[in-house]
Amino acid sequence: MSRIRPRLTRRQLVRRAALGAGALAVGTLRLPRAAQAANEVNFWASGTLDIGDDGWKIFANDSEVKVNFTDNGNDPGPVVAKLAAGNANDIYDVGGLQGGSEKELAKRGLIAPWDLAQIPNYSSVWEWAKNIPYLTFEGKVYGIPTVVNADSMIALRNRVGNVDSYGVIFDRKLRGKTAMEDAWINSVIFAAIYLKNSENAKISEPGDLAADELGLVMEFLIKHKKDRQFRTFWNGWEQALQLVANQEVWVMTGWEPIVYAARRRGLDCYYAVPKEGYEAWSNNTILLKGAVDRGLSKTAHQLANAFLSGFYGCKLGTLRGYVVPTDNNVAYAAAHASAFDPAAVKQLSEHVKAKLTGKVYWQNTRPANFQLYEEWWQRLRNA
Amino acid sequence: MPEALADRRRRAAFFLALPSLVVFIGIGFVPLALVAIWSLWSFDPDTYWIKSVWSLASYAALLKSGRADVLLQTAGLAALTATASTLLAVPAATVIGLLSGRRRATLLLALFTIPFFTSGLVRAFAWRLVLGREGIINNVLMSLGVVDTPVEWLLFSDFAVVLGMVAAHLPLAIIPIVLAFARIDSSVIRASQDLGAGFWTMFSSIVLPLIMPGVLAGFLFVFVVAIGTSMEIQLLGGAGASSIAIMINDVMRVVNFPLAFAIATVVTILLLVVIIVADRALELSRLFEDRGA
Repeated sequence: MSRIRPRLTRRQLVRRAALGAGALAVGTLRLPRAAQAANEVNFWASGTLDIGDDGWKIFANDSEVKVNFTDNGNDPGPVVAKLAAGNANDIYDVGGLQGGSEKELAKRGLIAPWDLAQIPNYSSVWEWAKNIPYLTFEGKVYGIPTVVNADSMIALRNRVGNVDSYGVIFDRKLRGKTAMEDAWINSVIFAAIYLKNSENAKISEPGDLAADELGLVMEFLIKHKKDRQFRTFWNGWEQALQLVANQEVWVMTGWEPIVYAARRRGLDCYYAVPKEGYEAWSNNTILLKGAVDRGLSKTAHQLANAFLSGFYGCKLGTLRGYVVPTDNNVAYAAAHASAFDPAAVKQLSEHVKAKLTGKVYWQNTRPANFQLYEEWWQRLRNA
Repeated sequence: MPEALADRRRRAAFFLALPSLVVFIGIGFVPLALVAIWSLWSFDPDTYWIKSVWSLASYAALLKSGRADVLLQTAGLAALTATASTLLAVPAATVIGLLSGRRRATLLLALFTIPFFTSGLVRAFAWRLVLGREGIINNVLMSLGVVDTPVEWLLFSDFAVVLGMVAAHLPLAIIPIVLAFARIDSSVIRASQDLGAGFWTMFSSIVLPLIMPGVLAGFLFVFVVAIGTSMEIQLLGGAGASSIAIMINDVMRVVNFPLAFAIATVVTILLLVVIIVADRALELSRLFEDRGA
């Protein structure tokens, strides 16, 4: 006579529940990277360099390189730290970073030099872009200039009229109606450019300030912060856009795409042409040492080459108004007029080219006094 | 044999508590102890790592670059937020715990916990639309002719920060007080009424002393959470407004772990002191007493 037994004993239930929970827990852990195909690259770059799933699909078809994009947060400090003391080199193959950190990364052996012979499109890069400081170290090229632009101020015409000097940011009459970015990599150089050119301050290179120059600039910013000159220090693209759109801030240093987005919302705002000059920047593609160790160097070079082949420049220009420094964008748009407006691509290209061939100071994300910059910025925040 | 029974009970209690004790030590005490120890190690900017060279440099750095001021300011803001939240929570919890039936109490409690259902970022951002120069409040004030120009201090100010934090953390103050109400024996209230006490007399002489541990717990919950918050301060505070959490984030950006750990250690000690003093002064532990015993 068979006994009636429960289908699942309590002990079985507990054991299975524990196994299930364990499996779930393991599933959520970050396990070492799975095997990667030879034509696949883990690209770790500023979020603004992402062209979305559709864009990467076409990119993969054109270049035969599949890109797994990860946003690196766009803050070079943590990126360098993760490469130096973290596991970024185990996970990622190619990086996209605001220029300036290449020298330090190269010195530490965390990135590898590019073999330009494997990047035929490099010859199409605009000459001045090839000469951007910080791209090379000991005669070797470590950074491929992939996205370039020159930044200044976003201004609301109906509030401040036409402005042509960073002085407006510090103008007492606009107290509480101006703003700067909450990042020293941009705000310190803007203040230094202004002090150098309009206040005759003794500053030799606004992108790489000596200790006393930095002290001068930071004391200037701290004084204005204490005087409540700034409405806020903005953080992130959306916040910056909202500040302008809500007219919370009438003029602020910021990125050009914010102007495009604000105009789409019907605001009469413009990107100022400052007499002191622009803050030029380039986001450079770097080859992580880990990729070379894993035998992915060839694919990484294929990727760097594809960035300069035209499609990526057209797509990025459409999405964000940024420019890849090569005429291949214009040629690609002309050949693919159904996908991109050749006139718009050319206009954007000429616009950025004109800005960058004028008076500019290059952004440097890793000045010699980097630690001092960090310390001063914290002092500004805490003031 | 009552002694043997008591001994067996003590042993059983110990073994029952053992897993919790292990978890508490493993994920509570040990990490805190490590943080305190590592705060005394040195940061090596060449390797971006800490080295086991004992140093008080991080604690000395706490006194530089305005960090001590930020510690005090954040504690002050947190205390202000906790006070405001508690003052609002007492009447709210009274309505829920004393003056409402079970169904209405549940509904009200659910309404007060709604802020927890939205992301902190969205919540803080929404305040900008309310408090801003072109925000709802300024529009109403201007259309009513109360002011000619927008009130600037509504946004990007300590006022905005405290308002945002109170709105976000109010449930943390309400819930312990509601629990304290639930522990009041209704016969005590009935007895006071039978003896002729009006509502306010009954509330101030009977109810308030009984819910005091809940009030204190609510204050402490809000204080502890507010002291570690950064969202409201970043989004609603003035230009580059700082807080303890922002300061830790700033030094972690450049992986200066010892300094970040030193800040965390000081904050932990501060919170422990606050909790111990509060318990000694107002007997927080009464909240956990077994009233039935």
